[in-house]
Amino acid sequence: MFKKLSGTPLSALVLVLLSGVVALVTGKSFSAMHTLDPLVPAPGFERHMLSEWFAPLRDTPGDTPVYIQRGSEPGGTVLVMGGTHPNEPAGTLTAVVLLERARINRGRLIVIPFANRSAFTCNDPQEGAPQSFSLRCADGSFRVFRYGSRATNPVDQWPDPDVYLHPQSGQQLSGRERSNLNRAHPGTPQGPLTLQVAYALRRLLQEEKVDLAFDLHEASPEYPVVNAVVAHERAQELAAMVAMELEGLSIAIRIEPSPKNLRGLTHREWGDATETLAVLMETANPSQGRLRGRTDEALVLSGRDKCYARAMELGRLFINYSGDQTLDLRVARHTAAVKSFLENLGLLYPEKTVVMEEVPGFEELLARGVGAFLSPLSRDHGSR
Amino acid sequence: MEWFWPEGALTLVMIGTFVFGAFALKLPIAVAMSLAAVAGALAAGEGFPLRHLVEGTFGYLDTILIIASAMIFMKSLERIGLLEGLAAWLIRRFRNFPLLLSFGLMGLIMFPGMITGSSTAAVLTSGALVSPVLIRLGVPPLKTAAAVAMGAIYGMIAPPVNLPAMIIGGGIDMPYVGFAVPLLICTVPLAAVTALMLLFPSLRRGGQDLPALEAELERMERRPLTFRRFFPLLLLVVLLSGEQFFPQFWPPLGMPLDFLLAAGAALFSGERWNPWETACDAVRDALPVMGILMGVGMFIQIMTLTGVRGFVVVSALAIPAAALYVSIALSLPLFGAVSAFGAASVLGVPFLLALLGRNEILVASALSLIAGLGDLMPPTALAGIFAAQVVGESNYFRVLRFCVVPGILTAAWGVAIIAGAKALAAVLY
Repeated sequence: MFKKLSGTPLSALVLVLLSGVVALVTGKSFSAMHTLDPLVPAPGFERHMLSEWFAPLRDTPGDTPVYIQRGSEPGGTVLVMGGTHPNEPAGTLTAVVLLERARINRGRLIVIPFANRSAFTCNDPQEGAPQSFSLRCADGSFRVFRYGSRATNPVDQWPDPDVYLHPQSGQQLSGRERSNLNRAHPGTPQGPLTLQVAYALRRLLQEEKVDLAFDLHEASPEYPVVNAVVAHERAQELAAMVAMELEGLSIAIRIEPSPKNLRGLTHREWGDATETLAVLMETANPSQGRLRGRTDEALVLSGRDKCYARAMELGRLFINYSGDQTLDLRVARHTAAVKSFLENLGLLYPEKTVVMEEVPGFEELLARGVGAFLSPLSRDHGSR
Repeated sequence: MEWFWPEGALTLVMIGTFVFGAFALKLPIAVAMSLAAVAGALAAGEGFPLRHLVEGTFGYLDTILIIASAMIFMKSLERIGLLEGLAAWLIRRFRNFPLLLSFGLMGLIMFPGMITGSSTAAVLTSGALVSPVLIRLGVPPLKTAAAVAMGAIYGMIAPPVNLPAMIIGGGIDMPYVGFAVPLLICTVPLAAVTALMLLFPSLRRGGQDLPALEAELERMERRPLTFRRFFPLLLLVVLLSGEQFFPQFWPPLGMPLDFLLAAGAALFSGERWNPWETACDAVRDALPVMGILMGVGMFIQIMTLTGVRGFVVVSALAIPAAALYVSIALSLPLFGAVSAFGAASVLGVPFLLALLGRNEILVASALSLIAGLGDLMPPTALAGIFAAQVVGESNYFRVLRFCVVPGILTAAWGVAIIAGAKALAAVLY
């Protein structure tokens, strides 16, 4: 019977209809990722859009919220950016914790939680990643965040060339890196969306005279630059002071100089193209690594993975992996480092001081979990 | 046992379902791969993961478009008689210089792969061009196909464009700079040896019936080699080269559009042919491979979701240090059965990390060479399948038999370069 049906108009029609059903069902699931995660900024934050610094981004998938809080006293300006790579959730969540908790008494704090907004709207094919993860707030309610892709959504930027040439240096990279925001800096006003987003960020840094800028990331535990601060040469002294302070709190952190021959990354390009002290930070995220086992929400939250435990026994990792690497720990590391940077910025450059309060410390975040420091959503919370 | 359960069991479920579907039920490979993915997800308690199945296929969207468009291009060249005419010209010009012909044709096979980084593009363009020449000069079709498959892989690995090396380097933030000489060391000796093994003996021996050959040549020359007939091929060379060598000025059209534009140019060749029928013919021929890629995409997605991928990768890394080279030589090509690029990313990066402290550029180059062998591994075996197709062989396993020795030499050469990377670096740098 199957042989009789094979290759007939009827079989073609059935297959087309089936394809339509599959497209409808999965399309609904994929399109749900286009909804921005609701945020509850702390009092004092003003909401802007990145396109205010580069108008052509307006109403494009690259336009993303920028939150600014000014203290009552003048001081320096600090930018905290998460979400360059939406599959590295500790970067995004650290920015969100600052946004929802920080009170700035002196200077200015700029927070960008979803730097590559387009990359939050899809997952990387063949990575089996969850589309979202949830955190329990203090009142027992849940906050849901998207777990996205390392790269800009191909729907917004496609096709990529076989080889990507970094526009300013001519450096060659695999073509898919053209969709990677952290290979696009300092960006160009024309060209693909990712380069334009990088250009808008450069304009923001220049026009807002940002003194210190963070790009928050995560890396695989088997990657050499992990649990580390990568600092532009002008930020090295500050980074060294922070590392000493964190070591004093038993938070091991490495300082890596920004390589001069690796182009397109924030710690190199922001430092070269603007006056800012550029810093990129990495925590260890098993859910993005190549050695990981079962890939699900539990792995994102706990970092518990038997494949990584085995890899640790084999001496293949660059962290001391003791069976897990919780999201709480990873956010706590980033938050503690940001706080330490701000304190030491004031010591090194008093006129650039930024005084930030109400942000939980390392021990608090570890003890109560990240969710406890996120504001529960009220019913009227849309994308704010 | 704790290590084996449940990922090891899931591995067996997925492989078992594939084997049962493909060999016992005689289902198409693509369908068997999809069923294996579904079985793995069900066994892992993931239900019927429709979103994952669809998402997995998108990993090969670009490759599928390249295959479809390259096949349309190749068919259009066939229709306008360029392949036959060019083959006849090459035979008349070089048939008395077998050594030169062996090396020259091997270089020609490699060239599109060097420019595009794709073995498929090499097989379907220059491979299709030289295959009739080689067969008419007495090289058996299966050996011809094997030479085309190996040459296409060496082309994919040779500079200037080597995508697996870029992927491996990208995994440790190493820019793709300084790879030209190491990649030439990786590929040129192997290409020469393969040409000597597979092509030269038959070309030197000749063996062709001269009057019959002459009659055949005259038939092939029926349609003269005019500039208009060459135009599609020249346009393709210009489009592919322009994007690679002048990216600052060249619009990034992408390989599929390059192939389609070049195929369209064949409409101006002066020869009458039916583009619709040609495109349908091409897509029909390419459909099984495109289906396999979609099935493989689902398979990898479910492997990753269920932890099977991590189990396989860490198991490969767990092999004792003394056997690391053997592990590299075996696991990289075997994992390439799902995709050479996938092998470069999933296994190539951890292997490079395990070998840090040697010359990383040489090691990454050699790992990319070994990963390239994945294009010979069933069920995808892109290089093998298309090489069989261009010589008219329906069973690509018969072609792969002739690739075994060059394949082993390739893996051995790659491992030798890794083992001697420090010494080689001292000479080179």
